[in-house]
Amino acid sequence: MSLNRSDIPTDGDLVQRAKRGDEFAFGQLVERYQTASYAVALSVTGRHEDAEDAAQESFLVALQRLDECRSPERFAGWLMTIVRNRSRNLVRRESLRHTDQVPPGAQSLVPLPDRVAETLELREMLREGLAALPEVQRQIVLLHDLEGWKHREIADRLGLPSGTVRSHLHFARKALRASLSGMPAGPDLQRQVL
Amino acid sequence: MRENVHNGSDYTEGLNQEDELAQALGLLDPAQQDPSYWVRFRSWVVSNAGAELARRRLVRELTVADVMSSWARAVVSTAALVAALAGLLLVRGAGPPALQLVGVEELLVSEVEGETIPTLLAPETNGTVAFAAEIF
Repeated sequence: MSLNRSDIPTDGDLVQRAKRGDEFAFGQLVERYQTASYAVALSVTGRHEDAEDAAQESFLVALQRLDECRSPERFAGWLMTIVRNRSRNLVRRESLRHTDQVPPGAQSLVPLPDRVAETLELREMLREGLAALPEVQRQIVLLHDLEGWKHREIADRLGLPSGTVRSHLHFARKALRASLSGMPAGPDLQRQVL
Repeated sequence: MRENVHNGSDYTEGLNQEDELAQALGLLDPAQQDPSYWVRFRSWVVSNAGAELARRRLVRELTVADVMSSWARAVVSTAALVAALAGLLLVRGAGPPALQLVGVEELLVSEVEGETIPTLLAPETNGTVAFAAEIF
């Protein structure tokens, strides 16, 4: 049985139900926006663990403040603002804590298979490339390429003009490609990216 | 607008590059290494939201009748307390009647309530008083 478009609950419907304590509705909201929240958190924190914490906490904060969401249909944009703020706070706390971090190259002494090592290297270079971008460009490129949001959705949910989103995406991709093309890897890896 | 798109082949190449970049960025998706990642993510959030969701359900279950009855309970108990306090004040206030103060001028022009001269002149009264009344 296929669902009509009208059968799919809108964000507004889900928010109203979640306000009344409907666990299923809240779960649907989480499922709908978990990747986007993670992408935005990752764009701010740059670390998987921090992004995961910030994204998860943001959903809990959003639920507590759900009555403050004045336009339930615009829940996504409201949630992304919470995610951004939580992520920035987390980064601020982390920078104050000055914990000793394990250098990326010292994470494992066990030799890794080539393919895994290549993937890890690529992931690390992506992180570095992303870190060099302005925050808004990181958010846009991750929401577009990791979560699959369209330009208009990003513009609507981040409160930016659509043209600005396109422009940021263009420059972000160009910078990422440039950053990855300079990586000290074999031709296979470069082909994989570019 | 895409940059450096001069002909069909460049355009296709540009598209491929974008697809490949998107594919590479997909490596940052935790589900690439752990397919059940998002299921666990959602479960964690929903289970940690349990208390807040329960609170919201409880608030919703409070019907209008519940609100009215709780309001009535408060009003009735307050009224009973006020009545008890009022009763206490009344009981404490029921002492000997206060003295009625009358000025001399008032005494001269108006009749003073109370016992009259004929009463004072009654046989059982003191003769001195009766005599004074006769002079006045």
